[in-house]
Amino acid sequence: MENCRTGVYICMCGTNIAKVIDVEAVREFVSGLPDVMLVRTYKYMCSNPGQEMIVQDIRENNLNRIVVAACSPCMHERTFRSALRKAGINQYLFEMANIREQCSWVHHDQQDATEKAMALTQAAIRRVALHEPLENLSVDMSPATLVIGGGIAGMTAALELAEAGYPVYLVEKTGRLGGNLARVDLTAPYLYSAQDLINERIFRINDNNHIYLHLNSKVTELSGFVGNYTATIETIPVENGHKKEEVKVGNVIVCTGYKEFDASRITHYGYGKLPNVVTSFELETMIRSGKIETREGRIPRYIAIIHCVGSRSLEFHGYCSRVCCMTALKYAHEVKSAIPSCYVSDIYVDMHAFGKGHEDFYRRSSEAKTLFLMYNKNDRPVIRRADEKDDCQMLIEVNECLSGETIEIPADLIVLMVGMEAREDASEVAHLVNISQDKEGWFIESHPKLEPVATTTDGIFIAGTCVAPKDIPDTVAQARATAARILAKVSQGKIEVDALYSEINKEICSGCRLCNKLCPFSAIEFNEKEAYSEVISALCKACGVCVAACPSSAIKGRHFTDAQVMAQLDGLLSPVKYQIEAVTS
Amino acid sequence: MENSKPKLNLAVYWAAACGGCCVSVLDVHEKLFDVVAAANLVFWPIALDVKYSDVEAMPDGFIDVTLFNGAVRNTENEHMARLLRKKSKVLVAYGSCAHLGGIPGLANLSTREEIFKRVYDECESTVNPDQLRPLTVSSVGEGSLTLPEFYNDVRSLGQVTAVDYYLPGCPPQTERLLEVFMAIVSGASLPPAGSVIGASGKAQCDECTRLKSENKQISRFLRPYEIYDDGITCFLEQGVICLGPATRAGCGVRCVKGNAPCRGCYGPLEDVKDPGSRMMSAISSVIDAREAEEIEKIVENLVDPAGTFYRFSIPSAMIRRKVL
Ligand SMILES: Cc1cc2nc3c(=O)[nH]c(=O)nc-3n(C[C@H](O)[C@H](O)[C@H](O)COP(=O)(O)OP(=O)(O)OC[C@H]3O[C@@H](n4cnc5c(N)ncnc54)[C@H](O)[C@@H]3O)c2cc1C
Ligand code: SF4
Ligand code: SF4
Ligand code: SF4
Ligand code: SF4
Ligand code: SF4
Repeated sequence: MENCRTGVYICMCGTNIAKVIDVEAVREFVSGLPDVMLVRTYKYMCSNPGQEMIVQDIRENNLNRIVVAACSPCMHERTFRSALRKAGINQYLFEMANIREQCSWVHHDQQDATEKAMALTQAAIRRVALHEPLENLSVDMSPATLVIGGGIAGMTAALELAEAGYPVYLVEKTGRLGGNLARVDLTAPYLYSAQDLINERIFRINDNNHIYLHLNSKVTELSGFVGNYTATIETIPVENGHKKEEVKVGNVIVCTGYKEFDASRITHYGYGKLPNVVTSFELETMIRSGKIETREGRIPRYIAIIHCVGSRSLEFHGYCSRVCCMTALKYAHEVKSAIPSCYVSDIYVDMHAFGKGHEDFYRRSSEAKTLFLMYNKNDRPVIRRADEKDDCQMLIEVNECLSGETIEIPADLIVLMVGMEAREDASEVAHLVNISQDKEGWFIESHPKLEPVATTTDGIFIAGTCVAPKDIPDTVAQARATAARILAKVSQGKIEVDALYSEINKEICSGCRLCNKLCPFSAIEFNEKEAYSEVISALCKACGVCVAACPSSAIKGRHFTDAQVMAQLDGLLSPVKYQIEAVTS
Repeated sequence: MENSKPKLNLAVYWAAACGGCCVSVLDVHEKLFDVVAAANLVFWPIALDVKYSDVEAMPDGFIDVTLFNGAVRNTENEHMARLLRKKSKVLVAYGSCAHLGGIPGLANLSTREEIFKRVYDECESTVNPDQLRPLTVSSVGEGSLTLPEFYNDVRSLGQVTAVDYYLPGCPPQTERLLEVFMAIVSGASLPPAGSVIGASGKAQCDECTRLKSENKQISRFLRPYEIYDDGITCFLEQGVICLGPATRAGCGVRCVKGNAPCRGCYGPLEDVKDPGSRMMSAISSVIDAREAEEIEKIVENLVDPAGTFYRFSIPSAMIRRKVL
């Protein structure tokens, strides 16, 4: 091995690090360690001058290893790697010691914190000596995208990509596009027609020859990796036989949406038993057909709307379904304009009017003579049949929170604002594309704030209500975000994959097959003919599961070799000493 | 048929061992004549009456090859290990005990005191009302008698002195011994000092003909008597722990061929630091459960994990002994 000439940089992070750790003492300690050619402390290593300093030092002092003791590698590893590239040395000859999150932020004692910073830095110095130059992989990026689900999310994403000139396979399991939105009449808060929103898109989709639309179809298999997926699309075997097609795609967008909560699960609302207790979707159907009437064909004089059916309750779903409050207000509007004499009462828990234009919509609705009653979410309204003498079908007893009184209100038609929940086949889809679900069944994004549409599997994106309940604007924004992410990648034609992956040494692998089913990214394949296992490097995420499992140590995690990890441990456990100097004035 | 080359001086010695390795040398049967044709047996306590003092009198490097079997458990073993090192050109750690510590190494799961207590006080067949214990020196009328001192720890040969080659196995497969011996005799180029010889660079599964599928999930650990072994399916897939995947091939998969799972006597593969934890890590990766209680329940029916995973290797593993 060539001689290591290591440069070490100790960051103060303003005062984030320096207020607890004596960085000068760390510098002094590190200066005496083997291989260390140069040590500097600096206020903000990640700043441009900080990075420039590394580049300069590498060039002038012929450094071939760099250690930065600063924040978490999640924060700035990439920043510093690019500095190494810029200076013309391999970016993997670099190691970060985390003396902020793992040290200055969690310790108060200067003595202990400084010694720990010394140990962490020493560990990084020992480790980096064993780093090897690695080259990232460059793989082809197929220009086509697979979109699963033809609701507003899927349609929007498909159009965005196709109109930029890239092929899209749009797979919808029902016989028509539009998803749940096709069941809605007007949309809150601006009362645009849902049908118009959808039809315009369907028209553009049919007109676009980059979109290959597969109705009544499902994706039954997906293999490969980012840039190079192979998907099997099969028609759902009903009429006109069964068709199966294999397509090559670079990326996948999952837009499979939601289903409504089954109102009959809250037994005492009587849904399915009382004829005039209906769900929001059933009311939408009535509104769209132009006839709001009871099952008996009478015009209702009293309509009551109950919020949060299945949502915000520990018994069913803890979350808020986000669209029901505004949809309920929309119903108040629609009912009033269809039957001006009708009394509408709106029985809610909290009025969630968080979106743009929503608060205004709420204000206008309260002016429209709607009776608002607030109930406690643990104290649901009680519905009973009215007596002969009453002039209504049903009576609802509400313990009204604002007045503190128990109020009984009449109703001929009761509308249950059913919440959203994950589709029953969501886990099947998650498994198919190798992404995770949260405990409620929604798909998990790779970072809830910074990566809302990416997943932990490269090349698999999620958008719309399959991620969590949301309204149309948010759904559309996500759909477009996925398209933007994909366009940025496919326009390059190639994609760079991190050099961190595992490799199986064919000369050692005994073909025991213990590792074969362990890879969470399905990156391991067994070569039947020669009886050994192989890692498909572009698929491997370097998670290390197989490395730990191979009883023969035939699998090596690049950049995480035993020797590197052991050297790091040695450095961590070797003695360090810090003496706080007496304060001199 | 006079040999053009001078005959080699060969020694075989046993330290803390069961004697099986020495017997395995005899297993060469009629090939022994080839060995004797090529070598003078200068020291072999099981077969020849050569005293330690005779060895001490030999010039340094007098012995060409010493096959040293057994672990180092007491002062006598250590003395002989160092002595034979000095007197031998090539020192071979022969068999699992010399290689890794072997079965005697399992005693590192107890302390010397615990062992003495069991053997000299508690053992069902022991009658020792005066609670006598072995002494390294005892005076009797005729003078003083000595016994080797019993160490607290068992060590492998390589932990006591420099070893040229390791020939693994409990005992090593006789064919491997012959191959190695003939290679030395013929002067064929030998691997670098410190290498494992007479074994493969791959694990047992490479040679094992049992059917292996990707389905290695284990939902219950079974002992061999608890299954109807079909004779053709990989033991692991039948729920029986087989150390084959963590063990060098070379023995001819003799245990599995005899319908018993591999115990691991051929030792770990080249890059494995700690054979027991390697195999434990492998097995824990294929336990078919997600919930902690479920996993615990499955693990509970694994009888004697230390003995299963470290049967031959405790002294040379990272843990080396039981501490508490
Ligand atoms: C009663 C009600 C009223 C609403 N009103 C409003 C409103 O006024 N304003 C507003 O902004 N929002 C409203 N919403 C919210 C709105 O419905 C959603 O934001 C929007 O429909 C989400 O679209 P999507 O594409 O994510 O999902 P979906 O509409 O559910 O579309 C998903 C599509 O994927 C298909 N699919 C599912 N699984 C598969 C599979 N495995 N393979 C292939 N295809 C599959 C489905 O068939 C469906 O076509 C309302 C919601 C409800 C419940
Ligand atoms: S490199 Fe990290 S620790 Fe240093 S200034 Fe930047 S954020 Fe702070
Ligand atoms: S676990 Fe190791 S030895 Fe076994 S098949 Fe996988 S890579 Fe090969
Ligand atoms: S390191 Fe992880 S991702 Fe890579 S092949 Fe092994 S198990 Fe799969
Ligand atoms: S684990 Fe044992 S039985 Fe299975 S293939 Fe390997 S050596 Fe054979
Ligand atoms: S099968 Fe295993 S235990 Fe049996 S002899 Fe071979 S290596 Fe030793």
